[in-house]
Amino acid sequence: MDFVPHDDKTVTEMLKVIGVNKIEDLFEDIPKDLIINGLNLPEGLSEPDVLKKLKELGEKNTIYTNSFLGAGCYFHYIPTLVDFVISRSEFYTSYTPYQAEASQGYLQAIYEYQSVISRLTQMDVANASMYDGSTALAEAAIMASIITGKNQVIALEGIHPEYIDVVKTYCWGQNVTIKIVPVEELKNELNQETAGVLFQSPNFFGDIEDVLILAKKIKEKSPNCLVIQCMTDPTCLGILKPPGETEVDIFVAEGQSFGISPSFGGPGLGIFATRKKFLRKIPGRLVGKTKEIDGEREGFLLTLQAREQHIRREKASSNICTNQALCSLSALIYLVSLGKTGLREIATQNFQKAHYVKNKLKEIPGYEILNTKPTYNEFILRCPNIDSLIQECKKLNLLPPLPLSKYYPEMKNVALVCVTESNSRESIEKFIKALELANNNKEGCD
Amino acid sequence: MEYEFPDELKYLQTHEWVRIEDNIATVGITDYAQHQLGDIVYVELPEIGTTLKKGVNVAEIESVKAVGELMMPLSGKIIEVNTGLADNPESVNSSPYGTGWMVKIEIINNSEIDELLSVEAYKEIVKTEKK
Repeated sequence: MDFVPHDDKTVTEMLKVIGVNKIEDLFEDIPKDLIINGLNLPEGLSEPDVLKKLKELGEKNTIYTNSFLGAGCYFHYIPTLVDFVISRSEFYTSYTPYQAEASQGYLQAIYEYQSVISRLTQMDVANASMYDGSTALAEAAIMASIITGKNQVIALEGIHPEYIDVVKTYCWGQNVTIKIVPVEELKNELNQETAGVLFQSPNFFGDIEDVLILAKKIKEKSPNCLVIQCMTDPTCLGILKPPGETEVDIFVAEGQSFGISPSFGGPGLGIFATRKKFLRKIPGRLVGKTKEIDGEREGFLLTLQAREQHIRREKASSNICTNQALCSLSALIYLVSLGKTGLREIATQNFQKAHYVKNKLKEIPGYEILNTKPTYNEFILRCPNIDSLIQECKKLNLLPPLPLSKYYPEMKNVALVCVTESNSRESIEKFIKALELANNNKEGCD
Repeated sequence: MEYEFPDELKYLQTHEWVRIEDNIATVGITDYAQHQLGDIVYVELPEIGTTLKKGVNVAEIESVKAVGELMMPLSGKIIEVNTGLADNPESVNSSPYGTGWMVKIEIINNSEIDELLSVEAYKEIVKTEKK
C-alpha cells in the first residue's frame, strides 16, 4: 500500500470525531516540565542537499579492501542472490507474520530457514532465530536452568567476552549464577546443581575443542546438566562435525557469516537449535507446517505458542516476542545458494587460507602462534610490536587484526587474526608484508 | 452450561479433582477447568518418585490458547503418571474424570484430606466464578 499523508481536512475531521481541537491537545497529559522546547536541529534540507550531505558523511568512512579482523563478525563473500531476494518488498517491508492467512510467503521462508539450520547442525529442531549469537547463548543458559530446575551455570574460558557480558546480564535477571572456569578445571566444578555448561568451539582464540569428547565428559559427571555449544562463525560446519552428532543439547551461533554484511557490527542473527525433547522449552518463535482441516492443502503457521510470553506470561522461558526475520532470510538464501558442496568449499578455503598464513608466519622472525589446539579461520599470534602491525596494515588498506588487550589487558602484543575465503592471495601477501615490516620496526616503536 | 461434578470426588478451589482409594489419590482437572482451557494439546507430567508438598505445581496443561497448572492437592509421592496423555491429550477434554486423569499420589499426611472441598462446596465456587 502507498503511503498517503493526511491532509488538513482529514486531520480536522478526525480531531472533531475524537473531541479535541488541535493535535497538541492529544499530548496535554505530558507534564509541562518534561516537554522539550526547541531541539537544536538544523533547518530542513531539499532532497539533493540531503543526498549530498549523506554522501559527504559516507566518504568519511575508511573502506578497507580486505580484512584480517574477525572476533565475532566476519567478512565472507555474499552471493548477489541474497540481496536480490531479501530486497523484494514482500520480504523487506513485511510485518511480523501473526496472521497465517496473510503471511504464507514469509512463514514458509522461516520454516525453510529452520529446516536448513536443523539439517546443517543435525539437531532436531531450530527456532525462527534470535537477535544474535550472544542473546541466543544467554537464552540457552536460562533454558537450561528452567529445564533442570537448577540455577548454576558454568561457562568455559574461551567464550567471546562480549557474549559472557550478555549472558551475565540475562542470568542476573533470572537469579542464575554463572562461573567461568578453564577447561582443565571443569571436572572439579561440575556437580548436581549444575544446570548447564556453556562453551565455544571454535573458541574466541580460534581453538577447536573435541566436542564429542568434551560433551561426553560433561554428561558422565553431570548427566542431567545441559551441554551448550556456541560458535561465532558457523561456516566451519562445512567441514567440522555437526553438534547433532555429539551429546550437545543446545547449539547456538552467530549467523552473520551466512549472507549478512558486517555493517559496523550488526545486525546479527541468533541461530538456536536443540533436541526434540526440549521442544516445549525453546525460546522464541517456531514456524510449523500443517494441513487444512477440510482438505489436503499444506500451510505454514506460528506454532507451539503456549511456550511464549503472550500466553505463558511470567512463566515463559523467554520474553523474546520476535525473530530476526530478514537476517534469517539472508542466511536461508545464502545457504541454499551455496548448497552442501558450496558450504564445504567455503569452509575448506577458510581453513586452508588461514593455515597458509599460519605456515608463512613460521618463516617470519619475531612471531609466535599461541594456539595449541587445531584452528579454523582464526588464530592468536604473539607479535613483536602490535601497534606497528596495525599501522602497517592500515597503510596497505587492510583492516587489521584485533589486539587482544582490548578484552584481556594482560595479553599485550597478541593479535587475533582472521583469514576467510574473501582474502585473495594478493591481500594475504600484503598482510605478510605488513607482518614483516612491523617486525623490522620493532626497535623504533618500542 | 451444565458441568459434570461427580459426587464421590473431592475438589480444590483451583479446579483439581481428587479420588481417594486407600492411601492413593488420583488427580485431574474438573470438567469446568477443561472447558475454560479449551482444546488441550499437551500435558507436562512430573517424574515418578518425586515427593512434593501440597500446593505446589505438579503438571502443566497446555491448550491452544492458554497454559494451566495442576496443583498438588495433598503432600505425597508421585507413584504413577498418565502416560496415555502424551498421545491423547484431548482425553482431558473428553473424559476429565476418566482417561484424562493426570497423576497418582501416595498420601503421606492423612489430615490434609479434611481440607479438600466437597462437591457442594466446589459447585458454589464454580457458580461464583461464572458470575
